[in-house]
Amino acid sequence: MSDSPVVRARNLGKTFGKGSDRVEALRGIDLDIESGEFVSLIGPSGCGKSTLLRLIGDLVPASSGELTVNGKSPQQARLDRDYGIVFQKATLLDWRTVTKNVELPLEIMDEEARSERAASMLDLVQLSDFAKHYPWQLSGGMQQRVAIARALAFEPSLLLMDEPFGALDEMTRELMQQEVLRLWQQTHTTVVFVTHSIPEAVFLSTRVIVMSARPGRITDRIETQLPYPRTVDTRESAAYYDKITEVRESLRRGDRQ
Amino acid sequence: MTDAKPAAREATRTSELRHRLRKHVPAAVLFVLGLVAWEGLIRAFDVESFVLPAPSEIGSRLVDQWSVIMSAAGNTMIEVIGGLTAGVVLGVTVALISVRWEAAREGILPFAIATNAMPIIALAPIANNMFPVTSPVSKMTVVAIVVFFPVMINTVRGLTEVGTGELELMRSFAATPRELFTKVRIPSALPYFFSALKVASTLSIIAAIVAEYFGGPQDVLGQYIIAKANLFVFPDAWAAILVASAIGIAFYGIILGAERLVMSWHVSLRATEAG
Repeated sequence: MSDSPVVRARNLGKTFGKGSDRVEALRGIDLDIESGEFVSLIGPSGCGKSTLLRLIGDLVPASSGELTVNGKSPQQARLDRDYGIVFQKATLLDWRTVTKNVELPLEIMDEEARSERAASMLDLVQLSDFAKHYPWQLSGGMQQRVAIARALAFEPSLLLMDEPFGALDEMTRELMQQEVLRLWQQTHTTVVFVTHSIPEAVFLSTRVIVMSARPGRITDRIETQLPYPRTVDTRESAAYYDKITEVRESLRRGDRQ
Repeated sequence: MTDAKPAAREATRTSELRHRLRKHVPAAVLFVLGLVAWEGLIRAFDVESFVLPAPSEIGSRLVDQWSVIMSAAGNTMIEVIGGLTAGVVLGVTVALISVRWEAAREGILPFAIATNAMPIIALAPIANNMFPVTSPVSKMTVVAIVVFFPVMINTVRGLTEVGTGELELMRSFAATPRELFTKVRIPSALPYFFSALKVASTLSIIAAIVAEYFGGPQDVLGQYIIAKANLFVFPDAWAAILVASAIGIAFYGIILGAERLVMSWHVSLRATEAG
């Protein structure tokens, strides 16, 4: 399994609508994501980065081309619970406590030891003190940490994140980025991360996939090559700024094409 | 919050109580002022009691007629409870079936909506003849039909208005339609269900009393009000109306309490943080 890529896309395309309403969201996507990678998809709105993530998660079907997740069809991968997903909105269920929210996927999967599992997940995201709280009693950042704990609770091999920190303030956002990197290193999960923030993409990723709109396509792939663990010092390093500049220029080039 | 000392918790509880009492002071003051003004105007302008009796007169008639009115109120309440229960059970059942199976929704909804267009006043005299004269079932039928629609339509809305985020989340977990239903749709529908129940409880008392106007057993609030009005004993009729209102408020209060118990998590019911 570790030899074949976690995600493999060949000439993948997606169109929405018919006739004059037809929109080509993605065209000719070729992409391999290897096990253990942290890959960010970045681009202007309408470039199809979220659509690509949702194709991988089998939330929408592809229109053309091939796509495999862990060597299987995306549908099979979803049915096998190969991935956990985190949206921009935490989408916690209001009537469940923090613990019960984390237990939700485990209930559905008939996991026996779910309270132990949920407790250790909350420990991992450092929210053990809030186990019995309800979502509305938590801040936005804490809610998103619960959502991450829930997505990782059943140990999926792939974590899909769709602008998960888009609604958070800058300070919280930086803390959450640190948190996600720590989780990624502790769990060895492969991460696909959609964002429209260049610094976020560079700080987090092993590789940044640059996309362009009309039609949505990949225009560049940039290895960040910054050493892990990445810290506050990383954010202040010259290499980090150089990469941010590289991604920004690449985005601008892609836009002109 | 969780590890507050008992004494501190006690203190917050008393301050919360005080806070709640203070919240109700304006309404109580207004109520008393209203009664005083009412009494004063009736006396000052010498208003005849068949136009509008003074509150003191209604009160004294209520005391005087207590056992008769209570017996009538008891029978009316049986109709209301029976009809309300039947209407709610039917409304929820139809809602669950029509949301769970789309084919059922297409088939059932037009008929369900048609019952809403039905004028119940027109139905009441007919329902009275469907069942034995002394049977409360005819009144219950009218109540159930009135209650059915708001309960059904609100429950359907609650069951179907689940965010795409929640739907996609459950899809990512490969949850079955049944799990989506029990773990997401039903809890999401609870707030809608309870608002429908509040509307239904008020409607059910109106429906029962209107149905009683068209005949049947005499020992009920509707018949009592009609009989007293026909005899021009309006203060007695007002006393019965007062009791009917009290029943309505009691039903509403019970539903409110149940709502707090079942969905303490909901936005509208969250305890105010730290007073």
